[in-house]
Amino acid sequence: MFRKFLYTFLAIALLIKVSGQSKPQEDSLAKLLDEVVVTATRTENKVSNIPLPIDVISAKNIHLSGSQNLIDILQMQTGLVIASNPLGTALQGYPNPFGDGIQMQGLDPAYTLILVDGEPLIGRNAGIINLGRIAIGNIKQIEIIRGPATCLYGSDALAGVINIITENPTKNSAKFQAHYGTNNTLGLTGAGTIVNKKMGIALFANRYSSDGYDFDKDIYGQTIDPFIDYSANAKLTYQLSDKSKLTLSGRFFTETQFNNYLIYPKSEAEIVKGKTIETDGSLFARFEHKINNKVTYLASVYATAYSNNASVFMQKNDSLYETIRLSDFMLRPELQVNIGKNPASLFVTGIGFNFENVNSTRYAAVDNLNAGYLFAQKQFQIKDKVNIIAGARYDKNSLYNAQLSPKLAVAYKIKPNFILKGSIGAGFKAPDFRQQFLNFSNSLIGYTLLGANELSHGLETLQESGQISPDINLSPYKENPRLSPERSLGINAGFDYTINKKAIAKLNFFRNDISNLIESYNLPFNKTNNQSIYSYMNLDRVFTEGFEASFSYKFNQHFSIFAGYQFLIAKDKDVIDKIEKGKLYKRDPVTYQTTVVTKNEYKGLYNRSSNNGNLRFQYNNILYKATAFITAKYRGGYGFSGLNGFQDGSGIYDDDRETVKGYVLLNATISKQIANRWELQGGIENILNYTNKLLMPNIFGRSYFINVNFKFEK
Amino acid sequence: MKMKNMKLSLLAVAVVVAGLVSCGKEEVPAPPPTPTVSITDSVEIPFSTNHYLFYRFKDSAVVAAADSATTKWDFGLRFVSIIVNSHSSGPGNGGVITQPGIYDNYITAPTTGYAYDTTATQTGVDAGLTTGWYNYDDATHVFSPKAGQFFVIRTADNHYVKMEILSVTYAGFVSQTSPPTTLIYKFRYNYQADGTTNLQ
Repeated sequence: MFRKFLYTFLAIALLIKVSGQSKPQEDSLAKLLDEVVVTATRTENKVSNIPLPIDVISAKNIHLSGSQNLIDILQMQTGLVIASNPLGTALQGYPNPFGDGIQMQGLDPAYTLILVDGEPLIGRNAGIINLGRIAIGNIKQIEIIRGPATCLYGSDALAGVINIITENPTKNSAKFQAHYGTNNTLGLTGAGTIVNKKMGIALFANRYSSDGYDFDKDIYGQTIDPFIDYSANAKLTYQLSDKSKLTLSGRFFTETQFNNYLIYPKSEAEIVKGKTIETDGSLFARFEHKINNKVTYLASVYATAYSNNASVFMQKNDSLYETIRLSDFMLRPELQVNIGKNPASLFVTGIGFNFENVNSTRYAAVDNLNAGYLFAQKQFQIKDKVNIIAGARYDKNSLYNAQLSPKLAVAYKIKPNFILKGSIGAGFKAPDFRQQFLNFSNSLIGYTLLGANELSHGLETLQESGQISPDINLSPYKENPRLSPERSLGINAGFDYTINKKAIAKLNFFRNDISNLIESYNLPFNKTNNQSIYSYMNLDRVFTEGFEASFSYKFNQHFSIFAGYQFLIAKDKDVIDKIEKGKLYKRDPVTYQTTVVTKNEYKGLYNRSSNNGNLRFQYNNILYKATAFITAKYRGGYGFSGLNGFQDGSGIYDDDRETVKGYVLLNATISKQIANRWELQGGIENILNYTNKLLMPNIFGRSYFINVNFKFEK
Repeated sequence: MKMKNMKLSLLAVAVVVAGLVSCGKEEVPAPPPTPTVSITDSVEIPFSTNHYLFYRFKDSAVVAAADSATTKWDFGLRFVSIIVNSHSSGPGNGGVITQPGIYDNYITAPTTGYAYDTTATQTGVDAGLTTGWYNYDDATHVFSPKAGQFFVIRTADNHYVKMEILSVTYAGFVSQTSPPTTLIYKFRYNYQADGTTNLQ
């Protein structure tokens, strides 16, 4: 593995040497580094001035893919992988409560912060934000920053940040799209922007629905249930004076999923039917004022609410079988001050408060989480050659210890076309509501899960109701244990190299060290029904390391390719410790021979692929006014615990029999202008028809779609 | 360091062996210890029940639940809980040690240090989800006995046994969405019939 790593590095180094002589020239590809992004500094900034690994997905590429799903677009990026949470239940007709998320630098979806226009989405289920909540028809660009971004954005930004920037009203325009595809998937999108002297308005609406599908007709209930989504966005900008600007925006999303499956309340099967309704909305207001040429302040208020309601009814008598509810509300006032101008010298500082409130049928009570934060970041340049960002953020929270998260990033322009980048930053992830407040007893097996903040009260209640024997001494649990946030230290180093007017190469090495991972554990005594009681504590330490490399090449005005690759190692440090001490064993499931696990046998964390690759081809034909857009994602083999019933008792990934084979997803879309302002698109997704019904029920086989697009601009 | 020690001890063994060979005629070898009875067996228990299944090592017999208050059984199984015939569980002199290491290499049972069942909910064998004798996968619901871990058991009538659970499998699915009706435990054990601590 290391050899492969070395060769790739050498190959890239060689490439630089060979083509290093050519002069930098102006070209459209070189402009990739001139793209303006906002995520890295909370102000507009050119990519070439930012000493962080950053990728931008343009509206054009999103449009050319013809896709309706954000997750499909994200997974075609270098090093971004879909992490399924299969639970093996979707195939059996159960609704999958969690969905898929994006794994970045080998870290789970819970460790990547998802922002829309710089503000966080809330409402994670088991750490995963349903990316289907974000309609893609009005995205201006998507900015992806790798490495901890906690110093600007707080909790959850350990692996990095995905910031979805929506369209601003800058011209008068109207567009419309109708999408129809396999599984009776129907998408209707309308958007418009209106600008007059001082005011701009952007409106957007989307309806998206699908019949879902069923992989196994012998099992009652569909693999993916039918659903209908509605989303609407509105944005208003108003220039109050030459110095002041007001921005108001609102976002609303709702999804209704139609559930229909079998349950076994006793030994008899019963049909239940119902709906899962997920809603998500936000309101945002910002007042921006230039005090003078140097100083600008931005005062904003962001309010967002999320809810997930699942209710199912027995078919035989329409009686309610079960309701599961989760609602989350957050209010965040914030003040930011910018002093100076980037990239020469810019100081950004801010203060804000989070008021968050969560309510769930599985949580003990309505729970509040109040937090305050301060951040400051300085960007400056030395002689046009060195770009430095230094910053820190301080988070104070009512439930856990205060967190200080510093970051330092440096870019050095060896030549104008060769930029070395290095950054180091700290990140944290606050204990989530489940880990703090859960109070849930499984009705079938009878075990109990208690969040750390609910432990003392939960145990007392169980003892009072006779579920814990009276001779168990609960005094050691009088004080609730305090969970600490999970901490990370991330290092990224690499370069952006504009080889010539046709080619750009990027390389980034990364290492993330995560400590204090929160895991469940069982208490040393059982309930009177002899079932365990679980709670959460800070336990594990893991690391991920590897590199991401990408190469873009533009043959001519009409034909370009992009290739990306990620190499990844992700391991548990405590497992390595155990192996080094010779204390980890495995038992061959056939011969029952027990042996000591060696360091070489340990393949790393489950569900991580060592090798991932992506390719993108784009071809324009002017004569036919047509564009072909082809994307491919390779995900290398990865470990899955208990694959095909394999078990060797080691609890870690150490055997090839646990390896899920790698696969390729290949998509192709052709767009053709059919009249002035009208365009027709047709596409095939998953051309190779890859499926893994048990482990990746969200990947349907080969599917087809057509889009009719209308666009008017003035 | 470890390597070095091992080499040293190998050397020591070699010297001793050489000594034995050279002057073997004068030494009277000790009588060979009684070998243990080596058995691999499996039992089926209901997935969900209030009763333990009782097992006796001596003759690999499942003991009737009616005999739960006697010394006729050595260990009991219910879901993932394991009891031995001791204190709160039964009148026997049972005890258990959860022993890390490789089963085949374990040759002598200790005479002390055995845990027993203090109460019905605090038993000698830890059956907790994270700390217990098995790994549990919450995605596939598979239980797998932790490798490199087995039990040294003192039976109800003071005999020594080493026992390793090899696998736990499900059976009797009505459908894939309902729990199975049956758990199958496969285990092996070496029983010393002469009452000594030799487990070879």
